[in-house]
Amino acid sequence: MFMVDTHTHTCLSPCADLDMHPAGLIAASVGAGLDAVAVCDHNSAENTVAAQRAGRAAGIAVIPGMEITSEEEVHILALLPDAETALALQSRVYRSLPGRNVEKVFGMQVVANEHAEVLGFDDHLLAGATTMTLDGVVAAIHKFDGLAVAAHVDRERFGIIGQLGMIPAGLPLDALEISSRTALPGARAAFAPKEEYPILCGSDAHEVKDVGRAATFMLLENPTLAEMRQAFNSRAGRAILGGGRPMEDLALHILDIAQNSVEAGATSIEIDLAEDQAADRLEIEVRDNGPGMTPEMLARATDPFFTTRTTRSVGLGLALLAQAARAAEGKMEIDSGRGKGTRVKAVFRYSHLDRAPVGDIETTLLVILAGHPELEIRFHHAVGDRDFKLNMRGFDPTVPKGLAALRQSIRQGEAALARSAAENQA
Amino acid sequence: MTVTEAAKSISGAIVAGAGEGASNEVRGGYASDLLSDVMANSGEGDLWITMQRHINIVAVAELKGLAGIVLVNGRKPEEDTAAKAEEKRIPIICTGLPAFEAAGILYGIGIRGRRPA
Repeated sequence: MFMVDTHTHTCLSPCADLDMHPAGLIAASVGAGLDAVAVCDHNSAENTVAAQRAGRAAGIAVIPGMEITSEEEVHILALLPDAETALALQSRVYRSLPGRNVEKVFGMQVVANEHAEVLGFDDHLLAGATTMTLDGVVAAIHKFDGLAVAAHVDRERFGIIGQLGMIPAGLPLDALEISSRTALPGARAAFAPKEEYPILCGSDAHEVKDVGRAATFMLLENPTLAEMRQAFNSRAGRAILGGGRPMEDLALHILDIAQNSVEAGATSIEIDLAEDQAADRLEIEVRDNGPGMTPEMLARATDPFFTTRTTRSVGLGLALLAQAARAAEGKMEIDSGRGKGTRVKAVFRYSHLDRAPVGDIETTLLVILAGHPELEIRFHHAVGDRDFKLNMRGFDPTVPKGLAALRQSIRQGEAALARSAAENQA
Repeated sequence: MTVTEAAKSISGAIVAGAGEGASNEVRGGYASDLLSDVMANSGEGDLWITMQRHINIVAVAELKGLAGIVLVNGRKPEEDTAAKAEEKRIPIICTGLPAFEAAGILYGIGIRGRRPA
C-alpha cells in the first residue's frame, strides 16, 4: 500500500515558495506520511535529480514528472519513468515554450541541489503556455513512456473542463486528478460516472504546508511508474484504491485509527459512523480486539509526537482527530486497557462550520481490507435511521475481480444510503 | 445580419462550415476563451469570439446553437476542428484582428451581447 501525492512543485516553479527546494519538499512529504511523491514543476524538470537524491536519503520514492501547459492553457501532468526521460521530455517542451521569465512579475525559478543550495535560475517562461496542442502534449508524454493525467479537473482555470467545456472525446488520458477542494464521491459522479478514468487526488502543493494535503492510495509492489501504470489499468493485482485529504477527511482519520489497531496486533475491528442531523451530531467509534494500551501509552496517545508505529502513518493520528473534534464543539475519548482492546470515540457537532468532511468511505474500507486480508471488519454507517453495513473477513486483493466486486458493493451501498437518506429528509 | 456579413465587417474569411452556416442569422455576440464560461453564458444565435481552436469549440457551438465562431489574431482552426465544423455546419471565421478590435467592430454594426439581468 502506497500513499502518493502525484502533484507537487519545487522552487523551480515561479509561483512556488522558496522553502520548496527539493530537500524541503521531501522533508514535508515524509512529515505528511507519504510513501511517494511526484515532482511536477511547470513545463520543466530541472529539479528532478535533486529531488530523487533527497528522496533516496529520506527513504521516500520520487516519481519524475512535469506539469505541461498546452496551447489551450490546459494543465497536463506527465508522470515519467526516470529522470533521464524527464529531461528528454523537458527538451521537447522547451522547444515549444516561447518567452523568457520576468522574475519581478512571475517569481524566481530556482534550480537547487539536494542540500538546499542554489545552483542557478532557469529563465524559460515556465509560467507561460507551450505552443503544443493538448493532443500533442498527451502524445509527447506517451512517446516518452509517461502517464498523462489531466490536472485539477475540478478547477476552472487551467483545468481541462474549465478551459474546454468538457473532456475531449477520444483524448487518451491515463487518469484525471482532483485537487483538495473536492471529495472523491462527488468527483466520481461528476467526472467519471462510468469509471472512464481512474481519479487521483493530488495536492498541487506550492508551499510546504500543502504537501500531502491530498493523496492517492495505490496498491503496488513498489512505488515505480511501471507499477503505477498497472494500477491505473487495474492489472496484475495493482489498483488505485482511492484517495482524499489525509489531514481533513474523517474517513481517512478512521483509516488511520484502524491501521493503528492492526499495527498493534488487532485481528478484528468494528467501525461505526453515525450521522444524525436531527440531533446535530456526528459520531465515529472504532473498537478493536488488540492488546490495548497501558495507562502511560494512553496518556501519551494524543501527543502528536508519540507513535508505536514503525511504518509511516496516514494523517497525524489521534492528536489530530481530537483537535478536529474540538474544532467542531465535540470531543474524543479513548477507552483502553491491557487485554481488553481499544475503543476510540469521536463526537462532532454535525452542522458546525469547522466540522471536517466525511470524505470517501470506499477508500477507507478498500485500503484497510486490501492491506490486511486476514482482518475481520464490521463496518456500520448510519445516516438518520437508514444505514449501510459491511462485514468482511479474509478478503484477498490478488483474486481477479475480487477487488472490483468489493468496490462495487461498497460504492452501491454508500450511494443507496446517501439517496435514501436524502429522500427521507425531503 | 448573417455570418457572411459579420465576417466581411472584420475582414474575416469563413474557413470551415461555410455552406448553409454562412447564412446563419447573428442574433448576439459573446467573447471568452474559457469554454465552460461560454457553455454557461452564451446564448442561441450568438457569434462567439475566441482564441481557442481546439475541436471542443465546435461541440460547444453546436450545444449552444451559436451562429458561428470567430478565431482572432490570425489563428487557424486545428485540422480536426475544421473537419468537425464542416460536419456540424458551424461556420468558423478567421480574422487577423485581435479580439478587442473584432468585438468593437461587430458592436459598431449593431451586434449586441446579452446584458446580465
